[in-house]
Amino acid sequence: MFTSIKTKLHVLALTIAVATAAFAGTNSAQAGTLENLERERAILVQTFMNPTLTPEQRQASIASTNRRLVDLERMVLRDKSLRGKNTKVVRRAFKSYDVSFMAHASAEKNLTLVDNWMEQFGLSTETLMTAEVGRR
Amino acid sequence: MTGLTLMVDKMSPKRLTLALAFTSALVVGVTASQIASAATNGNPSWRPQSSERLVKLPASYLKKSIDHDFKQSELGLALQNTDENIGLKAKTLNDLQSAVGQSQGEVQDELRHQFLGEKRDYIQLMSQRNELKRKHLVTKRRLFETMLEKVADSKNVSPVRQELMDKQDEAMQRFESSFDKVDMRLFKNGMAADSKYGQKHHENVSAIEKLMSRIQGHRMNSIPEDDGRPLTHEEQLRRMASNVQAEIALLDQEEGILGYMAKLVALDAMALAEESLDAELSDSDTPGSQGPAGAVSFFMNN
Repeated sequence: MFTSIKTKLHVLALTIAVATAAFAGTNSAQAGTLENLERERAILVQTFMNPTLTPEQRQASIASTNRRLVDLERMVLRDKSLRGKNTKVVRRAFKSYDVSFMAHASAEKNLTLVDNWMEQFGLSTETLMTAEVGRR
Repeated sequence: MTGLTLMVDKMSPKRLTLALAFTSALVVGVTASQIASAATNGNPSWRPQSSERLVKLPASYLKKSIDHDFKQSELGLALQNTDENIGLKAKTLNDLQSAVGQSQGEVQDELRHQFLGEKRDYIQLMSQRNELKRKHLVTKRRLFETMLEKVADSKNVSPVRQELMDKQDEAMQRFESSFDKVDMRLFKNGMAADSKYGQKHHENVSAIEKLMSRIQGHRMNSIPEDDGRPLTHEEQLRRMASNVQAEIALLDQEEGILGYMAKLVALDAMALAEESLDAELSDSDTPGSQGPAGAVSFFMNN
């Protein structure tokens, strides 16, 4: 009787240990953090370029997106399933921190989201202000 | 050979049986390896799988898990059964040895014969056990080798993947160093510093830290050390593999011991057979061969 209980306990401990090992391998395998960030970034860029918005509307929309973007960027950076995941999407996301993690990069550099984004393409407020209209 | 046949013809049935039994012991007990091949009946097996989950188990628990799996297997049960039989056989040998010491004459011869037979059976059982044990150890060694290969494979990182991981480390460092600055800026811009995700994340991190500290202090999670340096998972696996190799080497040595035991049983059997033949010859009514000088007295008187 005692041996049987002992065996059962042993088997239970083994099962739990194996299950724990399985958890360790899969609990971070959530998909979609990067996709969600990409989606939010696309909306933000559309907001930057939407000619129908007034400056106030644009500002309000950017502020609202910024909060979500901060969270999404943190989710991606903390997502262990992306560690070493050698896919095109992941490689591209980590190729440039300033482009992929816009909210953090702009706050770090004390720039607005728009300024930081445009800086990545070689455009700054100063260069735009000093630009002249001319014929090619 | 012809001489031996003639002598056998003249022996009593009892002594003949004894001599034949000794001869069979002699033939069977030549070498341990011969016995081993003859003794192993059936083909009990143990087929552990080196799964990803098994590789991830803590080394201290991995050994127990493998041993438990083996005990439940066909091979494990066969080994356990053989061990039990060996224990019983050793007890019989012990009893017979004391009985031989206390007996005399034909009874002693009979007991000595039985003792030799039991010794032969003991060697057979030991060889059988060694065969099973070798099978177990070789399978275990193969299992560790496969596991080590898997660990080595998981460590092999292509240059592109390494570059990605470096970038990720860089991003993480940059994120951590700017974390407070980003929160301050959000707060300054009138956005709450902590969103629902942020708040929950902090709560979870603190819960995780508590659990992690409990896990690290747990006795089942203790990491073996070598001169104060904690051993890596791979090092622990390598040590387990080399321990198995050491067990195999000791098994080889044990087989040598069994070989010597078998040789001694054969020599004892020959000695006992010779003693039986000598005793048979001394009991014989046939006069010994004499020269004519011994018969001179018959010719001295008329």
